[in-house]
Amino acid sequence: MQQRVTTGIKGLDEMLHGGFLPQTANLIEGATGTGKTTLCMQFIYNGITQYNEPGLIITFEEFPQQYYRDAATFGWDLKKLEQEGKLKIIMTSPEVTKLDLERVGGMIETLVTEMGARRILIDSLSHLERLSSDPVELRAIEYSFINALKREGLTSVLTRESPALLGGAEINDENVAFIVDSYILMRYVEIESAIHRALLVLKLRGSDHAKDIRQYEITSQGIKVQAKFEGQEGIMSGSPRRMAESFVEAFVKR
Amino acid sequence: MSIQSDDFTAKLMDDMDARLLDFIKTKVNSFIKWDLVRFFYENPNTTDSVENIAKYAGRNTAAVQSELKQLVESGVMEMQLVDDLPVYSLASDEEMRRLVDEFILACEDRHFRVKAVYHIIRGMR
Repeated sequence: MQQRVTTGIKGLDEMLHGGFLPQTANLIEGATGTGKTTLCMQFIYNGITQYNEPGLIITFEEFPQQYYRDAATFGWDLKKLEQEGKLKIIMTSPEVTKLDLERVGGMIETLVTEMGARRILIDSLSHLERLSSDPVELRAIEYSFINALKREGLTSVLTRESPALLGGAEINDENVAFIVDSYILMRYVEIESAIHRALLVLKLRGSDHAKDIRQYEITSQGIKVQAKFEGQEGIMSGSPRRMAESFVEAFVKR
Repeated sequence: MSIQSDDFTAKLMDDMDARLLDFIKTKVNSFIKWDLVRFFYENPNTTDSVENIAKYAGRNTAAVQSELKQLVESGVMEMQLVDDLPVYSLASDEEMRRLVDEFILACEDRHFRVKAVYHIIRGMR
C-alpha cells in the first residue's frame, strides 16, 4: 500500500483513500469563507500533534496574529507549538519566498533542516499571480515554486481563492491545476433556500480517490466532512436540482 | 516651566526599569520604530522587504526604510540580502527578543506608555 500523509480530517482522508501522497503539492480552492485556510491549518496542526510532523505556514497576506486567533477558536494553540519549535508561521511576500527557495541555504531550507518540517501551508498561491502577467512565465514560476517545496521533502497544501461565491467559478489560472498533484474544490451550494458547503476531490495524481461530492461543516473542532449529497445533481454549479426534476426535464417534457 | 519642575518631571519619567529606559532612549526612539517593534512582536517570524513591511505597517516606504535601518544598527532587527534584495526580520538574538517582549508587555500599563511617549518626544527635540 502507498504511504500517505494523513490530513487527520476523517471524511477527507476517506475521500483521498488515506491522505495525500508524500512530497506532493495539493491545491485547495474555494471562495472566501469556505474554510480553505481552516482545512489547511487543520492539516498542519494534526500533522504536528497527531503524527509528529513539524510544519510551516507561509502567509502572503493574513497576519500571523490572525492565525493564532482563528486557530484558538478551534482549540489549537499555535503559539505553544511555535514555542516548542514544531511550527513556524512566517509572514512574507511571494517575491521573497521565490528568491529564498531558489538560493542554497535559504530560510525555508534552513527551517526544514532545523525543525525537521514535513508539511507546509502556502496561503495563498493566488498571490504568486502578481509576479508575472505573462501566463507562460507564471506557469514556469509556479512550477519552479512547487518543485522547490518538493525538493525540500515537504508535502504542501496551497490555497487559492475562487472569485465566485456561488456557482461554477471561472478558473483564472488553469495552469496550476496541471502542475499540482491534487486538486480539492470547496464550494457554497444553495439547496432549498439554504446555503450548504460542498467539497470535491477533483484530482489525485497517482492514486484513486472518491468522486462523490461531500457536505462539510466548520465546527468548533475544525472541518468535519460529512455524507455525500443524495438525490441532487449540479451541486458544484451552486444551484443543484433534484435528480427527479432533472429526469422529468430531460425526458418527460420533450 | 521652570528648570526645577523640568528636572522633577524627568526624574519621574525615568522611574522605570533601567534596561527598558535604555531600550526606549537608544533603540525604540520614534513612534514608527515603536509601531514596527509592536508589529514584529505580534508577528515574530515576518521576513520581508521594506516595501512590504511598510504596507503591513500602513506607512510609506521612505519613512519605514530609515527606521528599519536604525533598528538593524541597534540590533533590534536583522537584515539579510536575498539575491540582492534586502530583507528584514526581528533579531534572532534571544536576549534582544526578551527585551522586545518585556517592552511590549510593559506598554500594556498606561503609566509606562506615558513615560515611553515622554522619552520619545524628548528624544525627537
